[in-house]
Amino acid sequence: MSNQELTIYEGAMCCATGICGPEPDRKLIEFNETLKRLTSDYNGNLKIMRASLVFNSLLFFANPEIARLVKENGPAILPITTVNGSIVARQKYMTYAEIKNVLEKETLSA
Amino acid sequence: MLKHQIIPNGKEVKFIFFSGKGGVGKSTMSCATAVWLAKAGYKTLLVTTDPAPNLSDIFGQAIGHQVTPIRNMENLHAIEIDPDMASEEYRERIVGPLRDLLDEKNLEIIKEQLNSPCVEEVAAFDKFIEFMDDPGYDVVVFDTAPTGHTIRLLELPSGWTDTLNQSAATCIGPGASLQSAKAKYEKAIDYLQDRERTSFVFVLKPENSSILETKRSAEELSKLGIATSFLIVNGLLPEEACTDDFFRKKKAGEERIVARIETEFPDLEKIYYPLQDSEVSGTELLNAVGRFVYEDKKDETGIKSSPSRSAVFFNQKSYRKLNCHDLLKPTNGQRFIFFTGKGGVGKSTIASTTSLYMADQGYKTLIVTTDPASHLHDIFGQAINHEPTKINGVGNLYAARIDQRQALEEYKERILESVKDQSEETKRSVEEDLNSPCAEEMAAFEKFMSYFDTNGYDITVFDTAPTGHTLRLLELPTDWKGFIDLGTLTKQTSEATQNKYADVIEKMRNRDKSSFVFVMYPEYTPMIEAWRASEDLKKQVGIETAMVAVNYILPKDAGNNAFFGKRRKQQEKYLGEIEERFNKPMIFAHLLDHEPKGLAALRLMGQDMCGVN
Repeated sequence: MSNQELTIYEGAMCCATGICGPEPDRKLIEFNETLKRLTSDYNGNLKIMRASLVFNSLLFFANPEIARLVKENGPAILPITTVNGSIVARQKYMTYAEIKNVLEKETLSA
Repeated sequence: MLKHQIIPNGKEVKFIFFSGKGGVGKSTMSCATAVWLAKAGYKTLLVTTDPAPNLSDIFGQAIGHQVTPIRNMENLHAIEIDPDMASEEYRERIVGPLRDLLDEKNLEIIKEQLNSPCVEEVAAFDKFIEFMDDPGYDVVVFDTAPTGHTIRLLELPSGWTDTLNQSAATCIGPGASLQSAKAKYEKAIDYLQDRERTSFVFVLKPENSSILETKRSAEELSKLGIATSFLIVNGLLPEEACTDDFFRKKKAGEERIVARIETEFPDLEKIYYPLQDSEVSGTELLNAVGRFVYEDKKDETGIKSSPSRSAVFFNQKSYRKLNCHDLLKPTNGQRFIFFTGKGGVGKSTIASTTSLYMADQGYKTLIVTTDPASHLHDIFGQAINHEPTKINGVGNLYAARIDQRQALEEYKERILESVKDQSEETKRSVEEDLNSPCAEEMAAFEKFMSYFDTNGYDITVFDTAPTGHTLRLLELPTDWKGFIDLGTLTKQTSEATQNKYADVIEKMRNRDKSSFVFVMYPEYTPMIEAWRASEDLKKQVGIETAMVAVNYILPKDAGNNAFFGKRRKQQEKYLGEIEERFNKPMIFAHLLDHEPKGLAALRLMGQDMCGVN
């Protein structure tokens, strides 16, 4: 398996887990679960990054396509997911199956 | 002698931090230390981050936001860092790069989100660090110190990439944004942990609450590898001023507290500094304080007590406008009363006294404490539980204590219940994430809110937590509401939850339903801190202060000598300032020679404080 990169560009939020709000955010809990599974599946061959709009703004500018989308649509377009730099989903958190599917296709085409 | 603790070793710059709650005399002690060091020939910089600095009063000259030489003093410079300005600069540094990306509305939302105590603490420390990096002085004296919490936040940078990869729960830390600052923070923490370079001094008052607070903070820092250097116990009653039974009794009580300090901190060097009859200012007096603390020159304290009678009496009648009952009775069936103020001002006592007074007037009253160090059980002489407990011997009075740990357990249970259909692994990771400070705060706040439901009481009295923590809790609902209304919160908050918050905010803002009472005593720092907190409440949450309670007023029939005559004059000056600043109805409680415990003592105090006649 080659080294791949998965980046999630996220909007402003208190915690990455969704646990510290008034009610737990199911979507974020499930998404954390997804990332944990992927981390163990790929055993260090997948670099996962979560970029927060507030705290990692430089990463947003590093990808002109992301910067353009946020500029045109506002933070409502987030979260955006990229695999090896290309956008694969916007405005939603992907499921484990969806990400896995994209990663496998990428591996085949590589 | 303590001077070995503060003198630079000649090779490295020495940093001296003064830690302790507001009103304990940190400013005086840090100024005295700086003056003493400068006089001893060391090139000294004094840095204050006090939100309402009084360096200009102490030194008799304007100082401000830039390094300023102190007049007629060789070797001494000072700077006043405005913490509000520091926070604003810090927020701007984060938000700045986003200007090209987002419109004004979205930028405002992000700025508001950064308006948290976490960010404020970090911003202040960020400023400290500027002076820790090759400052060009032999010694730098800071009149405040970072807390364990701030340092833990600062430790995040070292692991920030891990944080991103593993998406661990974190409060908003500084590190993630300022990747370049990582090395800077690490170096600062190294310095703090180095006893040769850094001295950490705790200033406390001879009071039980001050001992507890110091112990807690010192332990927290020690876990992070930061050792306490020594203690300054400030404000002991001078023996020769205790010329009557009242003050002799107080002095005896104080001696028991001193004995407790000795047992609680057996391995630390301590110095006991006496209460002065007036505020210390000017370099000569400050140097005398320094000589007392660092050279044991006890003869130079400036205490000159001639036990002649003094004619200075404060006439509180002229200030009294209304009584407690008229101000605090329920107007629409139910009232919520919040006593707020810093630790050591006597909130619990005043809240308990008021609660009993109102219960005796026939109102079914519940007193709730959110203070983890609450001593309600001492005051009422019975155990106070998480659920309302009836107070023995009063028909209408109940008390409850929000136990943070139990609240957290309840919160955890509820959250885990909501993910019970998820995989084992998810449940485990949720459980892990529930061990974050965020979860603790949420849990306490949820419990706090639950007392807002129509609860069957005419009056609910909150003896609120002693720090800005409470303010933050009060602030939160508005923030959330802001986010929810604007639809930018990534979380899916249900409509029911949303309505619950809106309801609480509405109740707190409505002056027919809620009364916020600021408790303080008539000295500079307690007054300023209360004033700032009340302004924050107004600006950030839209809550207007209802009244002011001034505690520890010197009684008429005790301390009739020159020393307390001067103290009375000082109290009178600040009572005038409090009235002018707040312009609210005031109630007064007198200094007592014992802690009021039991219903009889509270009723007596209630008559004095709230009585119509």
